[in-house]
Amino acid sequence: MIEWSEQHQMIRDVVRRFIEAEVVPNVEALEHGDMPPYDILRKFYSAFGMAEMQRARFAKMIEREKKGEPAKKKSDAEGEGGGDAAAMQLIPIIELCRHCPGMVTAMGVSVGLTAASILSKGTTRQKERWALDILTLDKIGAWAITEPGSGSDAFGGMKATAKRTPDGGYLLNGNKTFITNGPYADTIVFICKLEEDGVAPRDRKMLHFVLDKGMPGLVQSKPMRKMGLHSSPTGELFLSDVKAGPDRLLGEQEPTAADGRSGAKSTFQTERSGVAAMALGMIERSLELSLAYAKERVQFGKPIGEFQLIQEKLARMEVARMNVQNLVFRTLELASQGKSMSFAEASAMKLYAARAADEVCQDAVQIFGGNGYMAEYKVEQLARDARVLRIYAGTDEIQIGAIARDLLTR
Amino acid sequence: MKIMVCIKQVPHQDARLDVNGAGTWIQEENIKFEINPYDQNALEAALQLKDKEAGTEVVVVSIGPERVTQSLRTALGMGADRAVHVKDGAADGSDSLGTAKILAAVAKAESPDLIFAGFMSDDGNLAATGPMLATLLGIPHTTTAVSFQKNGAIQVERELEGGALEVVELNTPCLVTTQTGMNQVRYASLKGIMAAKKKPIDVKTVADLGLAGQVGADAAKIKIEKLYTPPKGQGAEILSGSVDEVVGKLVGKIKELGLL
Ligand SMILES: Cc1cc2nc3c(=O)[nH]c(=O)nc-3n(C[C@H](O)[C@H](O)[C@H](O)COP(=O)(O)OP(=O)(O)OC[C@H]3O[C@@H](n4cnc5c(N)ncnc54)[C@H](O)[C@@H]3O)c2cc1C
Repeated sequence: MIEWSEQHQMIRDVVRRFIEAEVVPNVEALEHGDMPPYDILRKFYSAFGMAEMQRARFAKMIEREKKGEPAKKKSDAEGEGGGDAAAMQLIPIIELCRHCPGMVTAMGVSVGLTAASILSKGTTRQKERWALDILTLDKIGAWAITEPGSGSDAFGGMKATAKRTPDGGYLLNGNKTFITNGPYADTIVFICKLEEDGVAPRDRKMLHFVLDKGMPGLVQSKPMRKMGLHSSPTGELFLSDVKAGPDRLLGEQEPTAADGRSGAKSTFQTERSGVAAMALGMIERSLELSLAYAKERVQFGKPIGEFQLIQEKLARMEVARMNVQNLVFRTLELASQGKSMSFAEASAMKLYAARAADEVCQDAVQIFGGNGYMAEYKVEQLARDARVLRIYAGTDEIQIGAIARDLLTR
Repeated sequence: MKIMVCIKQVPHQDARLDVNGAGTWIQEENIKFEINPYDQNALEAALQLKDKEAGTEVVVVSIGPERVTQSLRTALGMGADRAVHVKDGAADGSDSLGTAKILAAVAKAESPDLIFAGFMSDDGNLAATGPMLATLLGIPHTTTAVSFQKNGAIQVERELEGGALEVVELNTPCLVTTQTGMNQVRYASLKGIMAAKKKPIDVKTVADLGLAGQVGADAAKIKIEKLYTPPKGQGAEILSGSVDEVVGKLVGKIKELGLL
């Protein structure tokens, strides 16, 4: 793939039309008011038939499972090319990120992380009970691994526990933090370690439980104040002696220790390709805004675009845009061939895209000068929002580690 | 039931419009186009009927150059089943009657039960094509529909002067032109857009329709002599003074000109 196809452009245009009508007038309320992003996201899903599409796919998948047929590859699962399916996912991400990257985070964590982890680990019964409602956005999901004491070292440092109870269930305890959708989530995937006598904390089995809002002992905090991404509510979860039956344990049976970790890792991988699309949206918009400003802002009797130091920033922005766009094209091309990236390649893409977006959005502020520091000119929001790409879904440093480990063990 | 929807591609509402070098039309290079807003309501009305009545086929028809394909694909993405594209330089410069003749030839081949068209186009503003098409086909028509129902016959509420509504009933086959705001136009679904690339677009020439020499610029009875932006400042009078004085002068002007 070397350029957007006619269909891709049509999707872009129609999504853009929706965003202009429904998102742009609400950016202020989403970013600085109390408006959670979910109703607009639901409207988005219904306008473009996405809830319907998810329902149809889900029905087919469950039907296959009940017949005992093996899971098909993403690419031929729905009778549509895997490239089409990926494009229908990534183009809306790009477009939404031009105005509101927070909305994408809220949607991505709910659908791309929470529902996806239930689909990859749950039994058919569990998928029917929880995943479909999240896929259609009827319910909002949260995926909770990070704790106050464990972030990058999510597995090793984890303190949240599950203790077996005599009735075959579990008692859950622990605190989670920085949880996207935490304050509002209806369904929460809670990741913790099984307390077993004689097993050292670092070697304990990793268990995933599905919790519902309102369960006794579960407290969901108010949204935390943060640097950017204000339209994505982030919160803490506190669990004290939450009783969970075995029906809430994903897979409905305890995995071996290794299983638990690889599952969470494959979830990280999808997350990382989403970040490249997010970065592209932010880079495109920053560049467009910067170009227009560089042509129109006059200092020393010339448009500032005529100063070489401004030109250098614009040129670097364009290079970043081309590179990140090519990474997105590669993702789509791989999907259309039914292939996926290696873990290290996904890490490399995430690292590059996040740094490129951060640099471009910061340079946009610089091009706008004092106006760039003011909220009215939009580049300020993008600069704050882009920063998070280098932290969540694995920090830059963690991505570098993954890339280097892969290189050194080849 | 078969429904034909006539759609025209017009410059996008946000497009920058400049008069072309010859001063006869706008400069069309590098501007964005869209489906005429009135036609979008027409298409939506057809698609709503299709949603209600199983087995309904919606055929969209458009006349114009290659770029029109995009509008047809959009219509297919929204849910239309097929498209007919009359793509022929010989159709360029047709007046309303020429356009209506071409559409009538397509309609004769398709024999739809119902034809929807926008009440007028956003560029020409003539509001003539729909009624001319119905007349050429010898079928009943009504214009400026703001609501539409089908219970056997077709019931339409149409907009009249001063906010009055008129209710008319028509037997099929018939033609209805639609007013904007008649319905909430859907977005093309993402899956629909992907599926649209597999739906057929039937490309026809003027000769295919048996209309060689009868349409296009040479056959047109109306010709655009000149297109221009009225020079600024003429006829404008700036009232000055305090707010009260300005209001007083303004009311005096309105009375003087007999505008009330
Ligand atoms: C807006 C937002 C939303 C989030 N949403 C979720 C969510 O929905 N669910 C969830 O579970 N989590 C979520 N997180 C948490 C996120 O995944 C973590 O913040 C991230 O993994 C980093 O962990 P940490 O914050 O504890 O930083 P730490 O791990 O404490 O890192 C601090 C610094 O040390 C560096 N560092 C750590 N280890 C190494 C090493 N081995 N080598 C070199 N450098 C190292 C890091 O790169 C970083 O620079 C979210 C975070 C944010 C900001």
